[in-house]
Amino acid sequence: MSEDLTRRDLFATVARGTVLVALGGGAGFLVKKAGGQVVWQVNASRCINSRLGDLGVEACNLCTTECVVALSAVRAVNEYSKCGRCNICPAYFNISSAVNELGQPSEKLCPRDAIARRPIGKVDPEDPANNFYEYIIDEEKCDGCGKCVLKCKEPLGLGSITLRVRYDRCVNCNRCSISKACPQDALMQVPVGQALQPAGIERPG
Amino acid sequence: MQYRHVQVIDGKGGLRGIAVDGHGEIYAAGDSEIKVFDAAGRLMRRWPTARPAQSVAVAGDGAVYAGELGQIEIFDGAGKLRGAWRDAGLLRRVTAIGFTQDSVLAGDSADRAIRRFNRGGRFLNNIGKDNPLGGLLIPNGVVDFGVDAEGIVFAANPGKHRVERYTPAGELLGHIGRFDGIDSAGFTGCCNPTNVAIGDAIYTAEKAGPRAKAYDFSGNLLGVIATGLFDANCKNMSIAVDSRGRVYVVDTVKLAILVFERVSA
Repeated sequence: MSEDLTRRDLFATVARGTVLVALGGGAGFLVKKAGGQVVWQVNASRCINSRLGDLGVEACNLCTTECVVALSAVRAVNEYSKCGRCNICPAYFNISSAVNELGQPSEKLCPRDAIARRPIGKVDPEDPANNFYEYIIDEEKCDGCGKCVLKCKEPLGLGSITLRVRYDRCVNCNRCSISKACPQDALMQVPVGQALQPAGIERPG
Repeated sequence: MQYRHVQVIDGKGGLRGIAVDGHGEIYAAGDSEIKVFDAAGRLMRRWPTARPAQSVAVAGDGAVYAGELGQIEIFDGAGKLRGAWRDAGLLRRVTAIGFTQDSVLAGDSADRAIRRFNRGGRFLNNIGKDNPLGGLLIPNGVVDFGVDAEGIVFAANPGKHRVERYTPAGELLGHIGRFDGIDSAGFTGCCNPTNVAIGDAIYTAEKAGPRAKAYDFSGNLLGVIATGLFDANCKNMSIAVDSRGRVYVVDTVKLAILVFERVSA
């Protein structure tokens, strides 16, 4: 009798455990969906285009070529609080091109002409150097090639432009094809809240 | 005009601003101290500053002025504190100091201006602030300037790719410099020159790629003093010139002072 009870107890225990594990997993999934969902994001401190210390490299362009989304889900984003609002922005102009009659580089850098430049504040129409400028990235044109990001980083620029995954475009693949190709392992899955933090900031733990 | 690289002085730690006195001693501000090197590059003495030192200058009477956050400390040549000027509004981040015959000038990068004080520390006027942009354009975060024997102030205005000339009262007299990413006579990048020194010529330091150059007072390039010798990530390289025309430039990554000597006229 006691042996039967023991066996029944064992079955019951296993059954309860199985239910708890199943519920736990489901609960975890729900929590993940509700608040802890992971998404892909570019870690600016790993991306070769924005990582400090790496100079003399070319923009790698893999975010443009490897993404499964047409024109890529990655965009260059200008963080205005960091931008110097310079007259001659190396991310806007090709600073190695010939100087024009205004004393500025004659060519733009972006191959898709995705950056607009406009004077802000009290504008001096006579002397372009007497103005601050705002640089606005047109996300309909930008394909995340990273050329402007590379030119914006220190010490040439101030590092205000970084590559970011745009979630209205990203289809959140289980295995992001950019992450598979990225030699710097700069595409990372992070909780939504962390992904929306300014680029390059990683929370401890 | 050609220069040759003759010496590397180990900065013995942090290096920001440098200055050379009339005897050829080299003063360096860095971390929270002032360091003094002899002409051979030997560390002669060092003393602490109350706050991280951003800049240093030596007055004609030998007093050493250290620019810091919120204040200027004044020492004698041995490092004994003579006094301090504190002003949270006018001296928020003192990245350069210089002298005219009767005044002390301090570059406040937090307000993009040069402050002029009398020798007793009373504020007289701003330099470089009375313009449509409300100050010097310094995306690089440093105000730097030099002063000639007549008291004319030569301020780096990197966002405009110029060195501007001002009277001590703040009147803009003119400028040298222009943007050019190809011709080395121009200043390239978003914002250059970042640093300037005045001697028998106008000496400038640039970032990305780092180089030092000399111009005559009409703005003609006399020569490229050095390029390629500095770490490529250098920025805001303080530059100084001594009475013999030797040029001193800080490598802000290697934490060293590179010394250059003229080899031809």
